[in-house]
Amino acid sequence: MGLELLLFYVFAAIAVVASVLVVGQRSPIYSVVLLIGSFVALAGLYVLLDAPFVAVIQIIIYAGAILVLFLFVVMLLNAEKEKAESGTRVSVAGPRRMGALLAVALVAELGWALWTAARGEAVVATGPGGDSVSSVRAIGISLFTDYAFAFEVTSLLILVAMVGAVVLAKRNV
Amino acid sequence: MPSLAFFIQIGMVFAVFTLLLLSAASMVYAERKVAALLQQREGPNRTGPAGLLQPFADVIKLMFKEELRPGGADKILFVLAPIISATAAFAAFAVVPFGAETTFFGLLDEPVGLQAADVNVAILVVFAIASMSVYGIVLAGWSSNSKYSLLGALRSASQMISYELCYGLSLAAVLVLGNSLSLREVVNQQSGTWFGFIPRWFLFLQPVGFLVYMISGVAETNRAPFDFPEAEQELVAGYHTEYSSMAFAMFFLAEYINMVTVSAVATNLFLGGWHGPLLPESLGWIWFLLKVAALLFFYIWMRWTLPRYRYDQLMQFGWKILLPVAVVNLLVTAAGVIYFGA
Repeated sequence: MGLELLLFYVFAAIAVVASVLVVGQRSPIYSVVLLIGSFVALAGLYVLLDAPFVAVIQIIIYAGAILVLFLFVVMLLNAEKEKAESGTRVSVAGPRRMGALLAVALVAELGWALWTAARGEAVVATGPGGDSVSSVRAIGISLFTDYAFAFEVTSLLILVAMVGAVVLAKRNV
Repeated sequence: MPSLAFFIQIGMVFAVFTLLLLSAASMVYAERKVAALLQQREGPNRTGPAGLLQPFADVIKLMFKEELRPGGADKILFVLAPIISATAAFAAFAVVPFGAETTFFGLLDEPVGLQAADVNVAILVVFAIASMSVYGIVLAGWSSNSKYSLLGALRSASQMISYELCYGLSLAAVLVLGNSLSLREVVNQQSGTWFGFIPRWFLFLQPVGFLVYMISGVAETNRAPFDFPEAEQELVAGYHTEYSSMAFAMFFLAEYINMVTVSAVATNLFLGGWHGPLLPESLGWIWFLLKVAALLFFYIWMRWTLPRYRYDQLMQFGWKILLPVAVVNLLVTAAGVIYFGA
C-alpha cells in the first residue's frame, strides 16, 4: 500500500509539474516533450487505478500518435521560440481578458468539484463493478451496446475530418 | 516482509536486462559473421577465439571515444534522445514471456512465468512502447541542428507512423484469433499439434498476418531493405550522424534490441513460443531461443541480400498494398472466427 501511495504522488507530481511547464515554456518543441511526459505520468496513474487497458490506450493514442503529429508540425514549421512580447500589448489585450475569464471559470469549477467530492456528494462514475475498467471485454461490450451511438457518430466525425484534410491538402498540389 | 517470489521477480528483471545486453552484443557479432559468410570473407577473427570477443572490444572502444556535441545543438534534448531510444527498447521486452511457468525446482509454492512482468494487455504494451520509440529518433534528429539528422529523423518518423498501422492490424488479427491480449495465453493456445505432426502455430492460421507483421517489423526497426533513416549515400548516418561515443552506442543498442523484441513477439504470436517437440516443457526456453535466433538470422540474411528500396516506393507499398492487405486479413480473420465459432 505504501509503495502504491508513493507512486501515486510521484506520477501526480510529474503530471502536474509537466503540465504547468507545457504552458510556461517558450519553446514549442519543449512544450510537446513535456506534454508527452505529462501523458505518460497520467498513464501511470491509470495503472495505479487498476485500469491497464486505459493506460496503454492513453500511451498509444495520445503519447504515441497524436503528439508525434504535434512534433512533426513543430519541426516542419520550424517554429521559433516565442519572443518576449513588447509593444504588442494592444493586440493581445482582448484574448488576455478572455483567457483570464476562462481561467477564473476553471478554478471555480475545480473548486466546486473538489468541494462536493470532499462532502461525498460528487457523482463519481462507477461501472457495474470494479471489473468494468480493467477488463477489455467489458469495455468493448459497453462501447458497442450502451455507447454504440456515440461510438458510431465519433467514427463519422473522424471520417469527415479525414476527407476534409485530403481536400485541403489536394487543393495545393 | 517481501517474499521469495518477490526476490525472484527482481532477479528476473535483472536477468532479462542482462540477456538483452548480451543478445545485442551477439547480434553485432552475428551480423558481421553472417555478412562475411555471404560475401565470402572471414569476418572478425582476431579478438578472442573466432573473433568472439570483438563486440566487447567494440564496446570498450566506444566508451573511450570523445563525446562530441555540435555547436548549435539543443543541449537537453540532444542528451535525452538516446536515453529515450534505449529505454523504450528495453521496456518493450519487459512484458514478453520467454518460457513456460516454472517453480524453479520446487523453490516456489506458486509457479511463475519466465518474463519480467506478466501484464494482461501485453500485446498492446509492446505496441504502445514501439510507438514511443519514435521520439528518440525524432528528437535526436531535431536537436542535432544538422540537415542530415533532421531529414533522417523526418523519414524515420513518417516510416514508423505508416508501418505502425500495419503492425497494429496484424497484432489485432492474432488477438482476435487468440481471444486474449496476454502473450502468455496466446502462446499456450498454440501448444499441441494438428493431425499429430503439424504444430498448432498461428503461423498456419495467419500466414498473411505473419507476412504483414514481419514486413512492418523490418520497417519499424529501420532495417535494410527499409533503412532509409540512415541511408548512407544520401543522409550520412541519418538521425545519429552527430552522435559519438556511448550516445551513439545507445542508438545502436536500441536498434538491435528492437530487432530482438520484434522477433521474440513474432515467436510468441506466430511460432508457438516455447512449445516444441522433444524437449520437456521446463526446457521450452531453448525452443524459444532457437526460434528467435532463426528469425534474427533471417533479418541479417535479408539485410545483406536485398538492396534498399526508394523512399517513395516504401510509402506507396505501405499505404497502398500492405495496409489494405492487413485490413482484409483482419476482416477475414474476424469472419472466420465467428463462422467456425473460434
